[in-house]
Amino acid sequence: MNKRKTVFIEGPITPSFIANSIEKHQTKTTIGAHDIFLGQVRADKIDGKIVQAIDYSAYTEMAENKFHEIREATFSKYDLTCMHIYHSLGKVKAGEICLFVFVSAPHRKVAFEALEFLVEEIKKEVPVFGKEVFEDETHVWKVNKV
Amino acid sequence: MEVKVLYFGMIAEATDRKEELISLESGSNVGQLENLLKDKYENLQHLSFKVAIDKEISSSNTLLTSNNEIALLPPFSGG
Repeated sequence: MNKRKTVFIEGPITPSFIANSIEKHQTKTTIGAHDIFLGQVRADKIDGKIVQAIDYSAYTEMAENKFHEIREATFSKYDLTCMHIYHSLGKVKAGEICLFVFVSAPHRKVAFEALEFLVEEIKKEVPVFGKEVFEDETHVWKVNKV
Repeated sequence: MEVKVLYFGMIAEATDRKEELISLESGSNVGQLENLLKDKYENLQHLSFKVAIDKEISSSNTLLTSNNEIALLPPFSGG
């Protein structure tokens, strides 16, 4: 559980990637509950223009350190069987998935709680930057609400 | 001494570069580096950012040493 895992994926996270990930857990029969968070790019309207995509960049080395710290903190706080985090880099269109967080545990309550903790920590602690791109190629920078 | 400074997101737009080497007097702290950069790039004065030293968020009185990797990080917006 201590080994570093790849978190960043170039472009959107596809539904088939998520389905494969679920399928891989069917051999782990101590698991009784999975919980999944999927972050999807919203077509927000900002000053009359509609967001077409978010172009993600990151301070990759620091972000990977932070993901690792958050994983360790979550494992020590909650009795999880396993945990997976994937985040997009580059362009993700409105309606596509940019964040996939997947926790598994013997029972449901710990899965619910751990998932919320994880997603909030990721939003708060990880240096990822989203550029909201409009149809006319102009952009604004997204800021996470606390 | 020289430190490497990295810029991200809207900060990289304000400085129009992703990284550079900055010369500082030895014994300078993060606040002094911030002031120097705000003089160099006026746009930075209106932007909010945190400063990381060697991939850890630091405070403005933290002392810098040469070979530090400094990063100016705008508000995070992952997920």
